Amino acid sequence: MMARTLPIILLLFAAVVFPLSVSTIFLDVGIERQLGTVQKIFYFHVPLAWIMMLYGMVCGIAAAVQLRRESRMAEAIAIAAGEMVIVAGLGVLITGPIWGHASWGKAWTWDARQITTGLLWLVFVAYVLVRRYGAAGSERLAAALAIFGAVDVPIIYYAVKIWKTTHPSNDVVATLPPEMWAALWPALGALLATATAMVAVRARQELAEMDLDDAWVEAEDIAPAAAVMVKGDA
Amino acid sequence: MKTMLFEPEAKQAQQAQDSGDEYEAVEGLDRAAIECQRSFEAVAAKKTASDYSHIVWAYGVLWSLFAIYGVLLWRRGQRLRNDVQTLRTRIDSARSRPEST
Repeated sequence: MMARTLPIILLLFAAVVFPLSVSTIFLDVGIERQLGTVQKIFYFHVPLAWIMMLYGMVCGIAAAVQLRRESRMAEAIAIAAGEMVIVAGLGVLITGPIWGHASWGKAWTWDARQITTGLLWLVFVAYVLVRRYGAAGSERLAAALAIFGAVDVPIIYYAVKIWKTTHPSNDVVATLPPEMWAALWPALGALLATATAMVAVRARQELAEMDLDDAWVEAEDIAPAAAVMVKGDA
Repeated sequence: MKTMLFEPEAKQAQQAQDSGDEYEAVEGLDRAAIECQRSFEAVAAKKTASDYSHIVWAYGVLWSLFAIYGVLLWRRGQRLRNDVQTLRTRIDSARSRPEST
């Protein structure tokens, strides 16, 4: 019951908070002195990057659990989280260059944070492709890819400390004035609620697909001819 | 034609001069300063317009991605529901067939 209602509650929450966040960003918070009006992309770009990193970690941990315990729930969560990394990662990789084009005069500067983020996205695209089109037993290779992707998450975070980058340091977010935090929280809340609702729905679908596969096997035991006929129809 | 256009202004100027109510230049707002200010305003307006265009693109792309993924999830859900229904129907008919014969 909870699994059914949770996405609805989260999406309703996002539907209420999203307009509030847009009004706070555009009507309440002033224009940042150095970056100008375009800095308002920050309120969605940064939470989206956090969501991408969060689900990258979730996917890696769930894939490790799946490898060790062969848990169906872990497998479903890993697949759902992996797809969310692709969606959020694509958002980060598009909104970032748009912001960079306006602020730095260049959309892509090949800095360490951009490269490691691009790498994370590609690793999770590979994970989803192997999961979807891989032969029998490829789920172990996919899980290894997801763990490799999760290892990239802390590298993205520390990239601005390890290498010289065009991205600002991590301290910028921590030292934001309260009025900017007041705009960042609702944006983060709306995006995180939407992303989590979608991950929950996708995980449930994956579990349902696994159950459906089992049902087909059972159907072949009960009535082989009928099951073969149905599979041919599908 | 030219004289006709300038006539009222010349008349007004003459009237002002006669009444001693002469035009006084506002200090600090000479033509060069105003032009300089306007050019700064034009640059700022252009930057703001460009910034808003970037913001609209960024927000549009972001929410489009979520909307597209939402539609894909919904379609996958529909397909699953149809699969379950088809399987249930066929199993029921396969179970009832031996009983009827």
